[in-house]
Amino acid sequence: MRFLISFTLFFTSTSIQAMDMQRSLELLHMTVFSQSFSPCGKYLAAGNNYGQIAIFSLSSALSSEAKEESKKPVVMFTAHDSPVYSLVSTDRQLISAGDGEVKAWNWSEIVKKGCKEAWSRRPPSRISLEIPEINCLLLNPKDNSLLLAGGDAQIYVMDMETGAFTNVYRGHKEYVHCLALREQVHECLSGSEDGTVRLWDARTGGQVHAIEVYKYEECCRPQYGKWIGCLATESDWMLCGGGPALTLWHLRSLTPTTIFPIQECQHQVMFYQDLILSAGQNPTINHYQISGDIKAQIPCTSRTIYSMNINDQSQENKVLTAAGNSPRVDVFTNFGYRAFSLMFV
Amino acid sequence: MSPPLFNFPEARSRFTSSIRDALNNKTIRPLLATFNQLSGSENEKKCTLDQAFRGVLEDEIIIHASSESFLAIISLAINGVTEGICTASTPFVLLGDVLDCLPLDNCDRIFTFVEKNVTTWKSNTFYSAGKNYLLRMCNDLLRRLSKSQNTVFCGRIQLFLARLFPLSEKSGLNLQSQFNLENVTVFNTSEHESTLGQKHIEDKDEGMEGIEEGEMGDDETPTNCSIPIDYNLYRKFWSLQDYFRNPVQCYDKSAWKTFLKYSDEVLAVFKSYKLDDTQASRKKLDELKAGGEHVYFAKFLTSEKLMDLQLSDCNFRRHILLQYLILFQYLKGQVKFKSSNYVLLDEQSLWIEDTTKLVHQLLCETPPVGDRFSKMIEHILNTEENWNAWKNEGCPSFVKERPMDSKPTRVVRKRPAPEDFLGKGNNKKIIMGNDELTRLWNLCPDNMDACKAENREYMPTLEEFFEEAIEQAVPENMVESEYKVVNNSNYGWRALRLLARRSPHFFQPTNQQFRSLPEYLENMVIKLAKELPPPSEEIKTGEDDEEDNDALLKENSESPDVRHQKPVTGEQIESFANKLGEHWKILAPYLEMKDFDIREIESDSEDVHMRAKLLLVAWQDREGPNATPDNLIVALNNARLSDLAESLTNDTENNS
Repeated sequence: MRFLISFTLFFTSTSIQAMDMQRSLELLHMTVFSQSFSPCGKYLAAGNNYGQIAIFSLSSALSSEAKEESKKPVVMFTAHDSPVYSLVSTDRQLISAGDGEVKAWNWSEIVKKGCKEAWSRRPPSRISLEIPEINCLLLNPKDNSLLLAGGDAQIYVMDMETGAFTNVYRGHKEYVHCLALREQVHECLSGSEDGTVRLWDARTGGQVHAIEVYKYEECCRPQYGKWIGCLATESDWMLCGGGPALTLWHLRSLTPTTIFPIQECQHQVMFYQDLILSAGQNPTINHYQISGDIKAQIPCTSRTIYSMNINDQSQENKVLTAAGNSPRVDVFTNFGYRAFSLMFV
Repeated sequence: MSPPLFNFPEARSRFTSSIRDALNNKTIRPLLATFNQLSGSENEKKCTLDQAFRGVLEDEIIIHASSESFLAIISLAINGVTEGICTASTPFVLLGDVLDCLPLDNCDRIFTFVEKNVTTWKSNTFYSAGKNYLLRMCNDLLRRLSKSQNTVFCGRIQLFLARLFPLSEKSGLNLQSQFNLENVTVFNTSEHESTLGQKHIEDKDEGMEGIEEGEMGDDETPTNCSIPIDYNLYRKFWSLQDYFRNPVQCYDKSAWKTFLKYSDEVLAVFKSYKLDDTQASRKKLDELKAGGEHVYFAKFLTSEKLMDLQLSDCNFRRHILLQYLILFQYLKGQVKFKSSNYVLLDEQSLWIEDTTKLVHQLLCETPPVGDRFSKMIEHILNTEENWNAWKNEGCPSFVKERPMDSKPTRVVRKRPAPEDFLGKGNNKKIIMGNDELTRLWNLCPDNMDACKAENREYMPTLEEFFEEAIEQAVPENMVESEYKVVNNSNYGWRALRLLARRSPHFFQPTNQQFRSLPEYLENMVIKLAKELPPPSEEIKTGEDDEEDNDALLKENSESPDVRHQKPVTGEQIESFANKLGEHWKILAPYLEMKDFDIREIESDSEDVHMRAKLLLVAWQDREGPNATPDNLIVALNNARLSDLAESLTNDTENNS
């Protein structure tokens, strides 16, 4: 009897099931590349390899009466045809980057169905045949500009007021993975597939330095390549990792000071209080002391982590989120253990 | 003459005044005098005095006198009891009165007095009269004290009770192994109980609207700010306390499932969230130096805001992990009062085993000195097993009853001499009082024989041991002196020991001065080489024949047999010494031994055969190559030991 019912159900819901099947396959192969917290700190936007952006409500997921339902996206929409490689938030808008195009969405409207983009721009690429992807977005609040870097090995500066591209930093020989800022000295850093970290003067656009990380014996690892996957700065210090080992650099002397003993290539790194957090091709968030010792390795659900963020916007929702090659976004309330995961559906 | 009628009011007032008198003078004498002066039966007077004591104490309490004055009255009452003028229970009644009427601060001082006098209470006069009073008094006090605030005082009272009552006293024992089910840990299960939860609702309500109005982030006032809370973990974590409170739940199927799920989650968090020692240890170390901060949780604080801090508190973590171990011990252990259907399934036992390992590992990882803590806990839990066993056996008394019959027999029975019981026990067994000892003792029927058995002979023979040294000592072998074994101090030491046991040369007085052990050993080895039977292939050589012929030429008149000219061998000396035996002393003068030498030989050995051998060896040493059997035979004949001489002659002929 039960079989019969399910049989008939099967027929009536074939199309639905096909959809489900499609979606579960999509979920299986989903990679979350980018995340950004809303300016109020209560929402998290996450972009995946299908060009979708999902908005999660952190405050309801963290509330005392949170259910399974509150760990699913409040709203989800397709923003790009290409993967969403990078997301940043201004105090009003969410800016997303895909292949060759950057789009902005108003946070105030984003939770409504059928949200339209506020604006979109294409950097003036000189390569005509293929559209270069945008790997990294970075806001420079000092002069209210947005830095874009990616597949054409150039870094574009866009004025947020007018939407015009005001400057281009040229010098990298391969596509650019990551960007970082040194606000005190008006410098911008970029790490690229060509193995260099270049320092640019943010005012003139000229190159200040080029550090060829793979040429330093202490951190070079030819077996993993020379690409620079992640950058982070704090005053005179810089962290960089990727093919070469994760290393702490002193920027004034341009010397590597600490090599962190982690084997796997790292995709994300940041300074946090007196610690250094990194994540990459191992399913853990790694905590290091400045001295170079691994303090802890906190297990996550994804095999590889591509994106890691700390919510500084609201003290109440101050969590660490990490996402990678799974539809889950791990949330760490206390940075010592994974509390729960937000799920794409 | 009938005793005069007892006048209670008068007696009481007189007692009261003499108590005051006694208190002022700090002596019991006025009280004794009054007691003797008053007429009336002993019993009546005692009761009146008790009454008077209570009256005086009451007055003191009313005027809020110092605790010293109360104690003075009670001390006086104690003296009264020892003098036999008031009933034994009086001091306890007085103590009870005082403690009932005083605030807790003053009770502390009174109780110090009670603690000090524990020996008094335990003495024969007071113990039976006072134990119930004291127990009641202590329980009353405990009831008044807060379990979480006055932990030290509560502990003192418990310690006092433990000192007062004998170890076998069962009144404080949880005989039925019941759980304290009242110890419920309350935590916020629904948002209504939590202040934070309510705020969240507000947030949620205005959250969506806030975005719609486009004023995100602005409605957040700094006073509202707090930390994010993992409610999921919070609830699961504190739900576990219920299992620790009432472990019987674990035998329920669904409850066990939940327990399993929650535990796995919580332990995973502990595993992931490692505590670092660096900051904590230095602080702790300072605290320890300052006098040892002692950590005590009266009751768990279950606010969700504390969760984060608790997770990073190593003492808290230890508490929780220890709770696990205690629970597991109960679940695994044999407890008499556990119902028979409370048994673990195989998978449950397996899980418990794995988790115990994990918990111990986590304890080891928890600084400071985690591994030592873990070991200590393991030890404590092991000793706990003993208590469980004791309880399961129905709490037998620790005082061993002396068997009734043992005492008289011990007086009568004398310790038998070993000869009396050797081999005379049941089945000729000797009972040593311990199975293992008895078995060992009776392995062999005669232990003396067993000692002499050949397989117990571990000492090497002289030949065996010195073979190498002798070989090296032969100059023809041309062994460089530094490669000789005698230079090895280890070898030398063993050689000396062996010589002392086996060779008569060791005790031989000698005029030669040896500067070092190798030198001495070399000499000894040469001597031994002479004594020991020579290797067979060296016997017959052309040279020997020539030598023999020479000897024949020289001494053919003396003996027909050339071989008699050869000095006696060690073997010959050995066998002849056995034959000589007690006659050695007769022979000695004929071998030109001096009295001094004879005395020395006597002092060296008790055994006549050994003495005989010593004699012969001494002779051989002195004579050197002239120590031939012939010369010996001559000496024997001179000593009129002709039969011995004959046998020696036969022997030498046989040998040749």
